[in-house]
Amino acid sequence: MSHRAMQLRLGLGAILAAVFLVTYAIPNWVSSPSNVRNIVLSPLFWPYILGGLTGVVGLGLAFAGWREAGGEAVNEAIPDPQAGAVRLVAFAVLMALTFWVMPVLGMVWTSMLAFVALAFLVKTRHPAAAVICAVVVPLILYAFFAHVASVAIPQGDLVRLP
Amino acid sequence: MSLYDSLMAGLSLVGNWEALLSLAIGIVIGVVGGAIPGISATMAVALALPFTFPMEPINGILLLLGVYKGGIFGGSIPAILIKTPGTPASSATILDGHPLAARGEAGRALGMALWASCTADFVSNLALIFFAGFLASFALSFGPPEFFALILFSLTIIAGVSGESLLRGALSALLGLLLATIGLDLVYGTNRFTFGDPNLMGGLNFIAVLIGLFAIPEVINMVWHPTGHVGKVQKLGSKWVTFAEYRRSFRSIIRGSFIGVFLGSIPGIGAAPAAFLSYSEARRKSPNKANFGKGEIEGVAASEAGNNGVAGATLIPLLALGVPGDVITAIIIGAFMVHGLQPGPMMFVLNVDIIYGLFIGLILSSGILFVVGGLAIRGFRPVADIPKRILMPMVLVLCIYGVFAVNNNIFDVGVMFVMGWVGFAMGRLHVPPAPFLIAFILGPLLEDNFRQSMLMSGGSPDILLRGPITWFFWGLTVIAVVAIARGTMRARRAGA
Repeated sequence: MSHRAMQLRLGLGAILAAVFLVTYAIPNWVSSPSNVRNIVLSPLFWPYILGGLTGVVGLGLAFAGWREAGGEAVNEAIPDPQAGAVRLVAFAVLMALTFWVMPVLGMVWTSMLAFVALAFLVKTRHPAAAVICAVVVPLILYAFFAHVASVAIPQGDLVRLP
Repeated sequence: MSLYDSLMAGLSLVGNWEALLSLAIGIVIGVVGGAIPGISATMAVALALPFTFPMEPINGILLLLGVYKGGIFGGSIPAILIKTPGTPASSATILDGHPLAARGEAGRALGMALWASCTADFVSNLALIFFAGFLASFALSFGPPEFFALILFSLTIIAGVSGESLLRGALSALLGLLLATIGLDLVYGTNRFTFGDPNLMGGLNFIAVLIGLFAIPEVINMVWHPTGHVGKVQKLGSKWVTFAEYRRSFRSIIRGSFIGVFLGSIPGIGAAPAAFLSYSEARRKSPNKANFGKGEIEGVAASEAGNNGVAGATLIPLLALGVPGDVITAIIIGAFMVHGLQPGPMMFVLNVDIIYGLFIGLILSSGILFVVGGLAIRGFRPVADIPKRILMPMVLVLCIYGVFAVNNNIFDVGVMFVMGWVGFAMGRLHVPPAPFLIAFILGPLLEDNFRQSMLMSGGSPDILLRGPITWFFWGLTVIAVVAIARGTMRARRAGA
């Protein structure tokens, strides 16, 4: 993506976000008592100001992008972007699974699995060390948080730790 | 309470091995974190934060301050050895540090970096001790209109952390301000973007947002490009810095320290501009001007003095006014809040023992940094050898535990994950995250003080200009905006 395309996309995105905020999100998702006499005291006032400013900044970005001529790519290219995109999707799935599975499996076991999965997703050259760290690090953190910091680390429904 | 009583109260808090150990551990974590490219000082402070929750407030805050100071110095190690600054603040150190390393004199450059860092750190700590109390007593006469004007001025600092584009910095700040509106309205108690979810009624958790924004994008970047970090470490060499070289560079070190103190005490400017300004001043005044950029030891001293001079001074607005001086102090505010402390002028009245305890701890930190830094220079190589593809899964697991521990709430882990993707997208689109975080912290304060002012005046905006203090900050805001506009136009003309 060129610098110009980036500025234009950011600008257009900000304008669309501002329009969405002002016309839909703020009227529907911010509630205000009906007896507020002065507009500046209303809970709606600040979000509307921010929505308007987002639109102004978006216009500025779009204008700056429109005035630019071409430009070089803004991000360093990676050897295989498709594989990179697949890894990103896999990591997003891993995050979602971690979030949903944690209450069932417990934080320690989920962290171990997430550690191993991430290490293999980034193709670690030290698989044995990764597996050892995947077991040891969550256990040490559990010991610290549960027994020193008295944090109720989720234990899950399957295997419970002391 | 007299000065003597305050000092004794502070000493009673830090005059024990737990406090000293916390400080030393913090400095070790900071030096190691700063020395590993990808684990910046900011990320190291963010990751260490949850571990301070069960600690005594003073010990937890000292640990984080140790991480901060250690991190700023630690960043110079990879800057000199592998031409990769561990922190943005160390960018200027590359200019002369890396050419020295390339000549096999990395040990000499690192030694000077350490000596200059410790000297500047000490100067900066003294500035904090002498100026914070004075500023806090002045700030006690602030009401909501004065705080509104101050915070509005502080928001102009976003220009300083916006990097290459002011508009993208502004967009980032607006996103931060918008996300800060989530939760119950403080005046009327009505819902704002909560979607009826009780988890959102208290607003987004600050720690989850900041860890998501600063640590998780590094993990995602690693997933996107697993081999992007591959670098080569230079040898330390046998030559070491001498006292004569330190003496020769002393003037630049002291000048750099004061530049750091001055820029650090203005919220939002940060260590990187201080390092570059100190470097350029040293170059301008040095008899070895021609050697700068080719491996001049005075250049390393000046840039390190500039960035470390900021470290203590950024705490001046934090402690005196409750306004974070940079991103790291914005994170450290989180530690104060978790321990039920509110930095600002009232802290000098209600928690004077903690204030003086911090002062004593900070003075000690310069000495501890000297010892730890010396050991770190020799011991850096094995640390740098931790494979990054094992380090990043560790960071992920640390983040999960750390964020959960704040409120015992898995929802916060989800917020962190989402913010991680937001941070990654911002990185790809070159939208700086620092304005987001500063706006996320200052936004609610700005709105609350504005609305309180309006309630006081019955809706009249005249109250926002009610006295000399508000005039002063409005004046500073106007000057800052004009300077930003002129700087932007000049940069555009230079680029055209």
